[in-house]
Amino acid sequence: MATRTDNEIRELTPEQGQQLLDDKARQYLGISGEEFRIRWEAGEIDADDEPDVMRVAMLLPLAG
Amino acid sequence: MSRTLCGSRCCSPLPARTPAEAVQAYRARISRVLSCLTTAHVDVGGGYAPSDAPHALIMAGNDAVALRGASRLTLAVSEHYTITEDSDAGWQVHRAAYFYAIGLHDTGELLAYHWHPRGKSPVVDPHLHVRANIQLGERWLGKVHLPTGPIELEDIVSLAVNELAVEPLREDWKLLLHENRA
Repeated sequence: MATRTDNEIRELTPEQGQQLLDDKARQYLGISGEEFRIRWEAGEIDADDEPDVMRVAMLLPLAG
Repeated sequence: MSRTLCGSRCCSPLPARTPAEAVQAYRARISRVLSCLTTAHVDVGGGYAPSDAPHALIMAGNDAVALRGASRLTLAVSEHYTITEDSDAGWQVHRAAYFYAIGLHDTGELLAYHWHPRGKSPVVDPHLHVRANIQLGERWLGKVHLPTGPIELEDIVSLAVNELAVEPLREDWKLLLHENRA
């Protein structure tokens, strides 16, 4: 086993963060990132609704 | 259990003189712990500015990444953190939420360790979801919040290697976890 270095850390811009949120909201929940944000902030969906809601919600700060 | 102290491990072994120094130490620590199990990259955002709104650290877009080993497990990791100044300890990073999910390749999530004190969920303490298809009265086990206390990323790595037949990617993984926990 070789000695490894640490993993790459990438600093995302807010635009890149928004794109990532949109990609993952569509991939996991079938809605846009913007729709996810609106419904999350309105309390219409929460972390307990289904397993992937929390997965997507964790991305929200990256989108600014 | 306190909302604010749950994830309060200081992420820098020495007091940081600036927010940037504290954040860089935190990010380096997480990256180093993850390197025990995966080569996946980590995305971060928000820079180094202290604010009430949390910053995010996300491994591989929060997708499940394959781990090495006969158990064919996957791992997804993300954390939220805040940056605060303490009069005695300088600038520090504190976790504000976490999501650690261990899954089975081609099957999905098995174990999900959550802490989301800022969400709409009434459950604000750290908990575990066991994604088993078992009904308990009117509830499914997968939706039950099993209390855990705070879970560190180091705990997840240790669990994976020691109990779940995941093969570490670096030979110094035990030392690394030990140093982080010191």
